[in-house]
Amino acid sequence: MGKADGITQRQLTVLIFVSLLSPMIRILPTSAVVFAGRAAWLAPLPAFLLGRLLLAVMDAFGKNVPEGAGLADMAQTALGGGLGRAFNVLTALWLTFYAGFVCRSAAERLLATVYPNGSPAVFIVVMLLVAAAVGAGSTKALSRTAEVLMPILVGVLAAVLLSALPDVSAERLLPVTLQDGKRVLYGSLPVFNVLTVFVYFLYLGGRVRKKPGARPRRFPWLAGLTAVALGVTFFTLGTIGEHLAVSMENAFFIVIRNIKVFGVVERVEAVVVAVWVVTDFIFVAALLMIVAEIWRTVTGAKKCAAFVAPTGVLAGVAAFFIAQGVFDFQKWSDVLIPAINLTFALVLIPLMCAVGKLRKKY
Amino acid sequence: MKKAILLTLALALALTGCSKGLTIFSNYRRIENIELVRAFTADAREDGVLVSIYGTAGEENDARMVEKSGPSLGTAMGELLMMPLGREAILSHTENMLIGEDMARSRLNECLDYVERYSETRLDIGLLIVRGSSARDLLKGLSGSDPSAADVIAGLANHLDRVGEGTVFTCREVAVSLLENGVALVQCVRGVEEEKLFDARGDLNIEPAGFAVVTEDGQTLEFLTGEETLGSLLLLSRLRSKNLDLTVEDAVFTVSLEELKTAYEPVFDGDGALTKMKVRIAAGAKLVSLRGVADVTEKACREAVERALSERLKAAAQAAVARSQALGLDFLDLHGVTARKHPGKLAALGRDWSEIFPALPVEVEVEGALRRTFDIMDSPEIAEKEEMTPWEKLTESLKDN
Repeated sequence: MGKADGITQRQLTVLIFVSLLSPMIRILPTSAVVFAGRAAWLAPLPAFLLGRLLLAVMDAFGKNVPEGAGLADMAQTALGGGLGRAFNVLTALWLTFYAGFVCRSAAERLLATVYPNGSPAVFIVVMLLVAAAVGAGSTKALSRTAEVLMPILVGVLAAVLLSALPDVSAERLLPVTLQDGKRVLYGSLPVFNVLTVFVYFLYLGGRVRKKPGARPRRFPWLAGLTAVALGVTFFTLGTIGEHLAVSMENAFFIVIRNIKVFGVVERVEAVVVAVWVVTDFIFVAALLMIVAEIWRTVTGAKKCAAFVAPTGVLAGVAAFFIAQGVFDFQKWSDVLIPAINLTFALVLIPLMCAVGKLRKKY
Repeated sequence: MKKAILLTLALALALTGCSKGLTIFSNYRRIENIELVRAFTADAREDGVLVSIYGTAGEENDARMVEKSGPSLGTAMGELLMMPLGREAILSHTENMLIGEDMARSRLNECLDYVERYSETRLDIGLLIVRGSSARDLLKGLSGSDPSAADVIAGLANHLDRVGEGTVFTCREVAVSLLENGVALVQCVRGVEEEKLFDARGDLNIEPAGFAVVTEDGQTLEFLTGEETLGSLLLLSRLRSKNLDLTVEDAVFTVSLEELKTAYEPVFDGDGALTKMKVRIAAGAKLVSLRGVADVTEKACREAVERALSERLKAAAQAAVARSQALGLDFLDLHGVTARKHPGKLAALGRDWSEIFPALPVEVEVEGALRRTFDIMDSPEIAEKEEMTPWEKLTESLKDN
């Protein structure tokens, strides 16, 4: 990876923020309401603290890593050549599968909301083709795209949420008591699960141009995502209440569908669909890029681009065969994917970093 | 390579459905081939459901009604939307759904489920129950060409809020209330053959007919009287405006409610038992017209009007509470009020709300205030009789206050 493809810390931060918007909006508020009931709108706050803790841990592990090295390099240094490669291959396979899952969830979401007569295959193929085309390009281009789109995405989300304000009722958000504390903590787990995905972006750490003495600035994306999670949960719950929210697959979208601005503008869900499509596309492209970076490190190749297309094909296969119907898919979405994700992001990768530290490899 | 990337990116255009030739979806529709359904009706039949819509058809845009029955709302609507008017009917901008009494009694959940599930419909569709006739007959009776039946129904929804004879709860509000309280209020309407307020050409007009009380299990369908409906609006803080005629001595004061504030206070005793629910309603009103002899510049006169106003509203609120308790259905959401004010104490009661609620004493206090009489302070009769100077009137007024 040449210097020309280097990105700044800020660009990586923006890339993480835009990418993680996709799963954050997809799972909320339903997954948090399942655990926390009407107190679910508070669930992003403990998730923020847990995310901050994980950030601090990962920053501590990466403190003395030389410039140009990402997590894949760290794994091979920390665990040694053979084991490190095996670890990287395992991670690459998981992230390929995860990219397929993200494609399929994007397709299912579009089918459930605006294209009931479509087929998931169309969305998966188009999404992967576009993402692979971008993923094979430079990290800089993808990060710049995310930078350009971010204010638009945030602006659209803020405008849409504020438009929903007249329908929000305190009666559907209260009461929240101290007894709800435990439920709020449980409710924060799905939010935290999404936040942990940032760990995978550290595989692109080798492409970040580090300024001497500059500290990683990852706090803004974490705070931003927490604010989005808070907004989505608060407005959805305040509008349709916990019972209706928990029974719906895309409760946030249903709320958006009801928005009327001064009785003049209505049916604004198209802009939310645009947000979904853009964030899904950025996320999948970033995942393909991460996987290609891992394969590059494992094989010792000079360029990543050659690995993107095969990864895209494998992700497509995973997307097609992950589940036959929406119910099978829901099982993956609710249980298996979060469990595997937490195993990698919260256990295996930090453990690998810890081993490197203990062996004083960096 | 760049050309290949551009070509690949161009594939994304197919996602938009903007081109008939290239698009990969069946969502593409030409504007002249669609019919926006603003209102539809559903009635229960022995063999299923009858749904009806009213729209324009053919090259001359003739207004006509089409209907379809099927074993379920989904099947009937599915067929109706595809075949009826020579164009595809879509529900993306539907404003109101009218259902017959039988439908409300036996298939209300099916209606709500359809609205929640169908990808085109919004949850904020107004839900109305038709009393005294089938919803289909009402739609047919309303169907003059100018204004359209949908305009008449939408006009009624606005009219209700302005005259304080009810309010149209949306499917979202009804569904949330059913899920959270097990009971919900739904606005009722009926068709009348006279007094055409909205519809000059149809056979029928539409008028409000109070609230219906429906339960989650679909087993209950009760109707509230006008007084109980007014009380419910007051207690749910949904009354926007209402003109009331108040008789004080020989004069009739017509006042318009303009500011309403309802506050609840659950009262617990030292043992933690819920002893009563205090409800305080502050009602501000303005004088709209006055018939008879009365001097509103006199404090005693204004106080008498305020007392009459308070008593009138108190009676309505008490009627709503009494009906709610008699039915054992907390459609005024007193449980929610208690849970929000004292969640800990409510949880500690250790008894089911359905046991507590029917016998819970509810104390209603109403404080009516006449806030504005506009430029005319006296009734015409008084003004003619009295010939006080402005200074004398002012000092008299100051003495009163």
